[in-house]
Amino acid sequence: MKPLGDIVISALIPKAYRFEFRLAVRHLFSGGLQTLLTISAVATGVIIVIFITSLIFGLQNMMSVLLTESIPHVTVRVEDPKPKPLEIPESPVSSRIEVSASRLKFIDNWEEVVAMLRGLPNVSGVAPVVSGQGFASKGANPVGVSVVGADPELLDVITPITKDLVNGRYKGLSSDEIVIDTELAKDLNVTVGERIRLTSSSNQADSFTIAGIYNRGQGRGSAYVTLRNAQSLFGLGTSVNIIYIKVYDIYAVDGLSNTIMALTKYEARPWTLDYSRNLTNMQMMGVSAYLISAFSLIASAFAIASVLIVSVLQKSAEIGILKSMGARQSQISTVFVFQGLGVAIIGSSVGAVVGTTITYLISLPTRPAVAGQEPLALFPVKIIPMYIGLAMLAAIITTVIAAVLPARRAAKLNPVDVMR
Amino acid sequence: MSSTTSTRVTEEHSSGDQPIVIETRGLEKTYFGKIDVPVLFGLDIEIRAREFVAIVGQSGSGKSTLLNILGALDVPTGGTVLINGVDIATLDDDGLARLRSDDVGFIFQAHYLLDDFTCLENALMPITIRKGEASDKERDMVLELLKRVGLGDQTNKHPDEMSGGQNQRCAIVRALANSPNIVLADEPTGNLDSRSGDEVFRLMREMNRDTGVAFVMITHDDRLAQAADRILLIEDGQIFEISKEAHRRRIASQV
Repeated sequence: MKPLGDIVISALIPKAYRFEFRLAVRHLFSGGLQTLLTISAVATGVIIVIFITSLIFGLQNMMSVLLTESIPHVTVRVEDPKPKPLEIPESPVSSRIEVSASRLKFIDNWEEVVAMLRGLPNVSGVAPVVSGQGFASKGANPVGVSVVGADPELLDVITPITKDLVNGRYKGLSSDEIVIDTELAKDLNVTVGERIRLTSSSNQADSFTIAGIYNRGQGRGSAYVTLRNAQSLFGLGTSVNIIYIKVYDIYAVDGLSNTIMALTKYEARPWTLDYSRNLTNMQMMGVSAYLISAFSLIASAFAIASVLIVSVLQKSAEIGILKSMGARQSQISTVFVFQGLGVAIIGSSVGAVVGTTITYLISLPTRPAVAGQEPLALFPVKIIPMYIGLAMLAAIITTVIAAVLPARRAAKLNPVDVMR
Repeated sequence: MSSTTSTRVTEEHSSGDQPIVIETRGLEKTYFGKIDVPVLFGLDIEIRAREFVAIVGQSGSGKSTLLNILGALDVPTGGTVLINGVDIATLDDDGLARLRSDDVGFIFQAHYLLDDFTCLENALMPITIRKGEASDKERDMVLELLKRVGLGDQTNKHPDEMSGGQNQRCAIVRALANSPNIVLADEPTGNLDSRSGDEVFRLMREMNRDTGVAFVMITHDDRLAQAADRILLIEDGQIFEISKEAHRRRIASQV
């Protein structure tokens, strides 16, 4: 009757490697503290990788969400005319540049453009918008404000307002209602239900009832009215001057913008152009996560290699007797590579479980919530299953590479030298 | 050279009609270093099947060096070594390993059993190395040998659970597991008390007789040397075959 271990090995391990496998497993079991140390080194490496990537990519994610959740990811508008040299008949070259006056430019065929944009890949929301400058007033002292007119249902998807409301509502906005931010409400000393007057840069004016007040925590915000109101305030008839686009992948907006510009006569501006420094910072965070991960894995590889070298020295007499019995160099080195592989698989599994648990526990505490906003996690970690898998794979590969040097050293031992 | 009557190794022995298992011609070994140390000078040796040969000589005379070369664990610096007709100089590392696996069994002064494995697993180790796993038939054969050396009830014990004599008996079975043509034993009784040593020697002799495997044994125990078929003396880097009578006289003169 064969022992259970033999039956399992017979079922799982190819016959050509059973000797090496058996010996590696026995080494691991008899290694005691050394085995524990090497497993701990691998596990620590994996824990660091999981924790660091979760933390940094979590931070990166939070920053990009905070940065991009309230802005359109691509803005489509009529391109500003290029400044052109003033034509002076007598002079072949002019040093005078004519700059066109700033004015609202219409997207006449916006319904057609919006339908086309909704069909493009990566687009999650499209809102035709009228945007311009104006003054808000309650009695005297008009306050400058940027006015945005759009269908609340569509705009709420792109630059969310409802979630930041401190008071009142945005969705279901009627034709005489307006939503303003807390800064403007404070300046005008008004609250929900009161009426304010809005005068556009086109010198059209109308009165609105405040339906809601929001706080985005990012300084002065826009005043929101319906699309129809904004069209009449700015004299656009049935046209719009901007189309806002929301996308799924915020880092894939350059290609989308180029596509839109190729398909339409309008300018498509990705958010990355206006926030290039923030984007670079976030990319650097990603790079630093990879670097820290690589260094921690290299550090654990050195630890593993040194423990395995000690193990080879301790086993040198055993290696000698195995060689005297006919073990080939490749068999001896395979034993130690298997030993490294065993350590790697156990260590990376332990590391994945512990690292994920620690990261999850750290994600639980939250900061006190700001009024009108959702509470934020104290550590905005983001556990990415793919990175757990990659951390395990990287640790296994690194450990096996670390085991190769001691394994080669073992294989080259001269039995006559080690058995004296 | 002592006054003992000695000759170069000859083929005039009882196994003269048996096939040659190991043959050396002009075997030389020098350890090269800051100072080169010549150890063996042009040895001609023939070991035939079924023989039990004792190698005697003073410490440092090159006995172990010779044994390692005969077992393809070490390489000569001059001359040729043929194991089963194969010149070991023509083999690479893997070829030498295969030769050791197929043709040679080793027994050392220390048993060198693997601590992490049981007596049976240790005895099966050469087969495991060669094939990955022993067949049921090979397993039964090794179990039978373990019974023959009195370890039938110790098969599942680890080396640290057995006595020195038991471990060395297990090492004998291990040396025979791959059915080699020759077993090379380097002072196999050196670490044992005389009773255990005698028992180990008796078993080796028995295995030699029963299986036909040639044994070459280095020993400092003159009684055991006397019980061998032939006695080879290494002295001053040369090898001589001496008669048992000459060996006895030599012992007497040294007392």
